[in-house]
Amino acid sequence: MEGAFIQAVQQVFFSPYVWFVVIAAAIYGVFMGAVPGLTATMAVALLIPVVYFMDPVPALAALVTLTACAIFAGDIPNALLRIPGTPASAAYTEDAYRLTLLGKGDRVLAVCLISSVAGGLFGAVILILFAPSLAQLAARTFSVAEYFWLYLLGLSCAVIVSRGSMLRGLFALIIGLLLSLVGLSAVHAEARLTLGRPELYQGINFIPAMIGLFGVSEILRNMFAPRLGEQTADASELREPAERRRWFARPTDLLGISAMREASASLWTRKLHALRSSTIGAVIGMLPGAGADIGSWVSVAASKRFSSKPNEYGRGSMEGVSDGAAAKNAALAGAWVPALVFAIPGDSVTAIVIGVLLMKDVTPGPDIFTAQADIVYSIYLLFILANLVLIVAGTAAIRAGGLIRRTPKRVLLPIILLFCITGAYAINGSYFDVLVMGIMGFVGFLLDRRDISAGPVVLGIILGSPLEERFIQALTAADGSFLAFFSRPVAALLGVTALVLWLTPAIAWAMKRTRSGQEDRSLTS
Amino acid sequence: MGGSSAAHPKCSTDEGSTAINSSLMIGIFMLIKSSCAAVRWRRHGGPAWISRGLVVACVIVLGGLTPGCADRREEYPSRPVILICPWTAGGGTDRVARQLAVGLEGELGVPVNVVNATGAAGVTGHTRGALARPDGYTITLMTVELSMLHWRGLTPISYADYRPAALMNRDPAALFVRKDAPWQTLKELNAHVRAHPRQLRASGTAMGGIWHVALAGWLTEIGARSDAVRWISMEGASPSLQELMAGGLDIVSCSLPEARSLLDAGEIRALGVMADERLAEFPNIPTLKEQGVELVLEGWRGIGMPAETPDEVSRVLAAALERVVKGDEFRRFMARAGFNWAFEGPAEFSRSLARMDRSFGTLLTGDAFKNMGEGTIGPMVFPAILLGLGFISLVMLVTTGGMSRTESSDSFSWRGAWRVAEVLGGILLYLLVAEALGFLVTGFAIMAFLMWRLGVRWPVALLVSLILVALVYQVFAVYLRVPLPQGIFGW
Repeated sequence: MEGAFIQAVQQVFFSPYVWFVVIAAAIYGVFMGAVPGLTATMAVALLIPVVYFMDPVPALAALVTLTACAIFAGDIPNALLRIPGTPASAAYTEDAYRLTLLGKGDRVLAVCLISSVAGGLFGAVILILFAPSLAQLAARTFSVAEYFWLYLLGLSCAVIVSRGSMLRGLFALIIGLLLSLVGLSAVHAEARLTLGRPELYQGINFIPAMIGLFGVSEILRNMFAPRLGEQTADASELREPAERRRWFARPTDLLGISAMREASASLWTRKLHALRSSTIGAVIGMLPGAGADIGSWVSVAASKRFSSKPNEYGRGSMEGVSDGAAAKNAALAGAWVPALVFAIPGDSVTAIVIGVLLMKDVTPGPDIFTAQADIVYSIYLLFILANLVLIVAGTAAIRAGGLIRRTPKRVLLPIILLFCITGAYAINGSYFDVLVMGIMGFVGFLLDRRDISAGPVVLGIILGSPLEERFIQALTAADGSFLAFFSRPVAALLGVTALVLWLTPAIAWAMKRTRSGQEDRSLTS
Repeated sequence: MGGSSAAHPKCSTDEGSTAINSSLMIGIFMLIKSSCAAVRWRRHGGPAWISRGLVVACVIVLGGLTPGCADRREEYPSRPVILICPWTAGGGTDRVARQLAVGLEGELGVPVNVVNATGAAGVTGHTRGALARPDGYTITLMTVELSMLHWRGLTPISYADYRPAALMNRDPAALFVRKDAPWQTLKELNAHVRAHPRQLRASGTAMGGIWHVALAGWLTEIGARSDAVRWISMEGASPSLQELMAGGLDIVSCSLPEARSLLDAGEIRALGVMADERLAEFPNIPTLKEQGVELVLEGWRGIGMPAETPDEVSRVLAAALERVVKGDEFRRFMARAGFNWAFEGPAEFSRSLARMDRSFGTLLTGDAFKNMGEGTIGPMVFPAILLGLGFISLVMLVTTGGMSRTESSDSFSWRGAWRVAEVLGGILLYLLVAEALGFLVTGFAIMAFLMWRLGVRWPVALLVSLILVALVYQVFAVYLRVPLPQGIFGW
């Protein structure tokens, strides 16, 4: 046991090669995460031919660091351009972007980085302490009925955290769910809403949709403003004067140390909140098929519920950003648990990781903790190392991102458009995806003008098909009885939570309505 | 390096592209340096022509890049090959695809890029692969679904649209139950199923997928109705196995390697495998034949290219594939990843494709399978619920005034609307001409036009667009090998 641990420490911390791989993977990961359209999954898949020639520990080092950095880097375009680099960042896009518009860009990104690192480290600790037992528990309690409620809860959270009234959030969510129906349904293998177009058989890919709904719609919004040039002047006034005079920031604060220190201090004052967010992230990440996106939505929603300033959420809440960022990085480590214990991938990245493990003669399974303990300890240590390297890589990336804010809008907007188009095309090499991006951009623009946020639309597209699948699977398994959704204890618990979540505002609304109706009547009579 | 490709006198892609890349990089570097210097100079009162001079410099640098590989009718292969994988990144098929790509790169001497064209139960990838330009630069990792999809009426594409190159894997189906399940042998399970029809639940893949056909075949063989076990449509083996452990299913039908970890851990038991004889990797698992059920059902994976691909191209590719698949490294990978290695060359593979197509046809169009597709919940139930909810929320929004304009959206200007139209037009332009003109030209045109329309001085607009488009192309297409439109110039 201890021998394996010492071996792992030697393999990870005392190998210059591993350090080199970690640093290279960090740079690569930050880049891939920061460019919209290049996802963490794609980054990992592209790395396979390289990883193939490495030993197990450096190979794992590359993958762990890469995902940790990529998932954080998704926050950079999220805050600066209103384009979530990864779907997990979409839970707090509005908050982060509005804070940037208010001139707090440095602070938002510092908060994202510090929270991400804290969440990632906490997730690693959970992985170290509870991996095998939690994996067993999750595998035995989560059947399709539980997943149905979990997905529904995730969707409800998207409605809760979106800005404006819940009704608008619900409307946006239903648009997303309806879009997710397009294509060949997974359960029935039947074409729906395809208008007879073969391209629509594969459905609407959520990444081009996300780039359109957030990125392109933001470009259109800027374009639509009557005086684009003057808006730029307004925006530049928000900058600090010193920053405006110089192309680069003052040398004393070149690394944004003060913002980092401030972010760390504020995280420490909210340490219990951070703990809650990371726990939510890690636990949801552990469930195969859930992962970082649901984790961050649920975490932001919980954060809103317990917050003293719930009205800020969706309109620029630093707390929401911090809690969401922590949850999504904590979910990463969580996703490795079922992958290591049962070879059941927790998300698309760990699905590739299992393949790499097998390539390297490491067989996932309950035995891995005894038979190949040094590999398991190495993975733990790599998670810690990766998050420490992330502090440096993330700081550098944030500095580089600062260039974006100093670029005038009239130059920046076409550049963003180029990246949107390139990213949407790159996913599958399909022009249809570019078309989807364009149409979704226009839809997002229209929704934005009605103050309906795009977040629930994206989550609706992502979770629509799994939700329907679980719904039908649970019903089919119970031969059509709706009791299927409440017959198991965890399912009943989740179901009641979801129902309470939905019925409370509905009842409150109805009561207000009847009361005001009575008042109206008493007034008229 | 493949001997066959290197021996021919041709415009060497390796050298050509390296030359282009390095000159591009040097050119961009010089442009960035000089523009920085120029901007500084201009600020400190430098002459006004400086920015125009830079544009001229750009044009010269770009002009120097164009001739790279002028003769485009070279020996195959001379540019990157795309390997279409019809399934998602990270799945078993994807793993095989990426392993093959590594091997093929060594044999062909050109990059082989895996593209995951996923969706619609394999229809997307198989359709795209069959309809690709038949030049050998787009090849497809075909899976068993090719033998099945057209029988289910999901696509007209069948094995006849492909020119097979090599088969590398055959995986027989197997039946699994939980470790605490009451049935110790297949015979006990047979008896239970016959005695209690529609009591047990099974999965392994989507409705009508390969493992579903396997289960239906087993039920038919033992004399039960093919819906005597309820099939829960799930998206693959791993979620099904997870559901089996959680108690939501009683039987899982999938390949042995897919269940290996859980099998080794003792969480599940295999009652039988649908192969001709026991697998070398799993000597303790009896076949169905041994237990009196005459059924052999296997999934397979192989490489194919569009049917009209010329002979000389097909020969090069098939030879390269044979070396890769028969190589030690690939065999070791298959054994480690738990895939059942097999090899068939073009002729043999095309015969077995025809044979498998017939046998799946009999199974899928037979009476036994017809009554299986009927689920409890129809495909339009969920959409109907959603539409109802959507209508209600829309009505509530309208009646409560939620759809009225907000303060932030009161301003409307025709100029703004025109600019919005220009952006959308830019996207449309990309859709229409990128395939013909390539990424560099189209991207440059869109960027430069938009910047100019937004009031950026035209020299700056041209310069920034040029540098960025070239940089994006270099990073995406060359370093990361992410697909970008190639166009007539090859970039």
